[in-house]
Amino acid sequence: MIQPFTSQPIRYVAEDGVPLRPLPPSFTPERLRDLHAQMLRAREFDRKLITLLRQGRTTFYAQSSGMEATQVGLARSIRVGHDWVWPYYRDHTLGLAMGVPMFELLSQCLGTNSDTSRGRQMPHHFAARAQNFVSISSSIASQVPPAAGNAMAQKYLGTDEITVTTFGDGATSEGDWHAGLNMAGAAQAPCLFVCENNQWAISTNLKAQTASENIHIKAKAYGMPGFYVDGNDIVAVIEVCTHAAEWVRAGNGPALVECLTYRVGSHSNADADAEKSYRTREEVQEWLGRDPIARVEALLAHLGHPVDSAERAELIARTHREVDEEVRRAEATGQPDWRIVFEDVYADLPPHLREQERELRAEQTAAQNGGRA
Amino acid sequence: MTATQDAVRAPGAGQGGGEAEPRTINLIQGVTEALAEELARDERVVLFGEDVGARGGVFMATAGLQERFGKHRVFDTPLSEASIVGAAVGMAVRGLRPVAEIQFADYMGPGFDQIISQAAKMRYRSGGQFTAPLVIRTPSGGGVKGGHHHSQSPEAYYAHTPGLKVLMPSTPYDAKGLLKAAIRGDDPVIFFEPKRLYRAARGEVPGHDFTVRIGEAAVRREGSDLSLIGYGGVMPDLEKAADALAAEGVSVEVIDLRSLVPWDREKVLASVEKTGRAVLVSEAPRTANFMGEVAYVIQEQAFDSLLAPVVQVAGFDTPYPYVQDKVYLPGPNRVAAACVRALNY
Ligand SMILES: Cc1ncc(C[n+]2csc(CCOP(=O)(O)OP(=O)(O)O)c2C)c(N)n1
Repeated sequence: MIQPFTSQPIRYVAEDGVPLRPLPPSFTPERLRDLHAQMLRAREFDRKLITLLRQGRTTFYAQSSGMEATQVGLARSIRVGHDWVWPYYRDHTLGLAMGVPMFELLSQCLGTNSDTSRGRQMPHHFAARAQNFVSISSSIASQVPPAAGNAMAQKYLGTDEITVTTFGDGATSEGDWHAGLNMAGAAQAPCLFVCENNQWAISTNLKAQTASENIHIKAKAYGMPGFYVDGNDIVAVIEVCTHAAEWVRAGNGPALVECLTYRVGSHSNADADAEKSYRTREEVQEWLGRDPIARVEALLAHLGHPVDSAERAELIARTHREVDEEVRRAEATGQPDWRIVFEDVYADLPPHLREQERELRAEQTAAQNGGRA
Repeated sequence: MTATQDAVRAPGAGQGGGEAEPRTINLIQGVTEALAEELARDERVVLFGEDVGARGGVFMATAGLQERFGKHRVFDTPLSEASIVGAAVGMAVRGLRPVAEIQFADYMGPGFDQIISQAAKMRYRSGGQFTAPLVIRTPSGGGVKGGHHHSQSPEAYYAHTPGLKVLMPSTPYDAKGLLKAAIRGDDPVIFFEPKRLYRAARGEVPGHDFTVRIGEAAVRREGSDLSLIGYGGVMPDLEKAADALAAEGVSVEVIDLRSLVPWDREKVLASVEKTGRAVLVSEAPRTANFMGEVAYVIQEQAFDSLLAPVVQVAGFDTPYPYVQDKVYLPGPNRVAAACVRALNY
């Protein structure tokens, strides 16, 4: 039985890889290796995307390095394609672990014709229908009330689905966040709220964000359990999130999970000087020492199944090849043309937009013929 | 309360002497200088928002100000626009001069209720017993590959709300002078900063203290054949279009509204009466665009002078598209084509 409202984050594995309590039997070495591979793949994806940024092939990227255990762990705690997810913009690792094809993620980041969102959103704002991974909104916490509504619909329709919504620690200051939790609580809707507490909202740290001791205790005010978990311990994340998800699924109402983690990189490419301007090198170093991938490697070594370095290198190389190949495939599809401006604004093109489309078509045709529009 | 608005608590705001030489700066420096000088001039001025402190704002508009004026004057807030605007209202009512930064105009949404229900109506609903003289600064507009949540031009929502003043400069001089006027004024002001001009727009500012009067348009160049009227991020496109037309012998008058509420009817009407033609440009979606109001007033007040229908160039009635943002924004060619339409009518 996993307890809500613990004063310390729930942990299963210490930083040196030694279990702090008996590992649940489902964590076989094979499963741990699979989780490790998934986290490593996500980290290398981050690395490659930074390269694409430097090459000017994409224009925005928010890394999740350091947060892999939280996002991969959450993906493994829910029923993918059955449950619904209202993610936030740092969740590509969650998406990858839920099986959103890398090709789709890259197509969106590159804004190519193969982008299922049709090049309309800024990079890194995916939507994936097959995984019920709802389109990411840049507007902080704006996904939280709709997630509550999604869960209310699931209850109304009598499904056994749940809704999961994720957000950073900064998001918990927005009115929308409180409105969403209150609504879900009042409606006893099957909604799992997951805070990826990476401790910084751009340059604002948690202490400046809230006078609460932590995030999960806020659940109390909305009449739901709040779980506190070490977000860099993938075993703990899976155990706690699975417990919370199934408790929600059983009709007990919503729950909140706070995963305590850290973003080791900058907030986004717009903020490459994080170390200089607002964080100390010591703090970052300290958290690098709690690396979630290194922890699983240490655990596997402790269990007598070490990841050997050749195997690790091959995993990394494979991810790099995969990204290169999918980027090539995506770019080969070209860029969406001017027509995407008008499609999908409404179900049907209303007269005023039809007229504006005509104007733009004439302008484009004139431009193609070399004349000034 | 109004009597104290110009009270100088700390004399000599940097360039206060009047002897210093004019300097060339960019638009965001204009913003930073205005903030620094007003913080120095009046200790009631406080500055806050998301990441404005140590980080200096995501666009660095407040860089160095916390260091210089201290954490009680320049500070970070929790990530909540409702809290930021709402707190600004409360502070203003209690006698401070809050200048709040909303990180992107797109994110004023969560603070919208505080702006329209509280800030805009405080003076009116209390019979003038209470006022909310605050300034909300926010980067707006497209052209920086920001997708729809970092590129919108929401000025019409605010222009539609009585009680608010709505400004949008396009030069460093106006950015600095208008922002200082806004901070010294007694009304709530929404101050939009066209982010694609932050570094692109360069120009001279005087070495002495100055303000730009709110409600006054600027004639950027005089002309006799057509009045080309815009504001904010599109202004360089208007200049380019006017250049292109000048090469073909057309004399275009270019007007920068820079203040939407109140806007300068006199200057606009005088220009249209002189030229007989008006082309109105903005990058916001066309329907219920602020320029619709300008067009209405022109047709009502200057109908007899018009040689052609008023032509409007605007963004499309679609959300702002990431990949096709070049197509979405008016641009010099579209502006020039609209002028040709008005000229050939
Ligand atoms: C409503 C709104 N306000 C401001 C922003 C600008 N902004 C983007 S990310 C961010 C910080 C978010 O921090 P947090 O919620 O902790 O998530 P993290 O990025 O740390 O994962 C801010 C202020 C925004 N996107 N939306």
